[in-house]
Amino acid sequence: MDGDDDDLDFRVRAAVYDGVMTGGAAPLVDELAAQLGLARERVAAALERLAAGRALVLQRDSREVLMANPFSAVPTPFAVRAAGKLYYGNCIWDAFGIPAVLGADVRIDCSCGCCGEAMSLAVTGDALEPIDGVVHFAIPAHRWWDDIVFN
Amino acid sequence: MLLFRSEEHVERWCRAWSLPRGATLSPESAWQLARVWYSADRRARAWRRRTVDETEALLAGLGLTGPFWALR
Repeated sequence: MDGDDDDLDFRVRAAVYDGVMTGGAAPLVDELAAQLGLARERVAAALERLAAGRALVLQRDSREVLMANPFSAVPTPFAVRAAGKLYYGNCIWDAFGIPAVLGADVRIDCSCGCCGEAMSLAVTGDALEPIDGVVHFAIPAHRWWDDIVFN
Repeated sequence: MLLFRSEEHVERWCRAWSLPRGATLSPESAWQLARVWYSADRRARAWRRRTVDETEALLAGLGLTGPFWALR
């Protein structure tokens, strides 16, 4: 990768995160290209490099952004509401990551992975309000990226 | 990573999916992990992924050690 690619990748990464953090939705490749004044092919290539470096996860076929961790670009069972906006985490860990990234109070609406019973959590003033429950990590840490979508 | 109502529900889910039980954290511990993990601003030019050494140190700093949390 040369310096031009480094700069381009930074601009694309920052634009993706700006999009998800301010608007709650990840920008599409065409939107990124228009916003940055770049050819679509250059943005798509930057996204591929960022995905190869595990800075983002792309959708398998469309190659649009799937995950800008902790945010999911598509709806998931981990809904996070902050300041009137709706975000989605990729898992419960990432749902907790959203208030960490935003520095905002949030409510997380999800459900028990086993029985589907609704569970609601709140982070207020940088503190998690007490809740009964257990977070389960099914995959050992050294295999987290083997299948990041399942994980 | 999923949230469950109790350890019993974790065990039931593992049986249903024929998966070995992994590791569990309290919601508070998972929140603390997320706070540290996502502390860096990913919009910053200087942001980069942590190295394996840095990640292992981060996990160890939260008491997450042993084979399940090892990265190599």
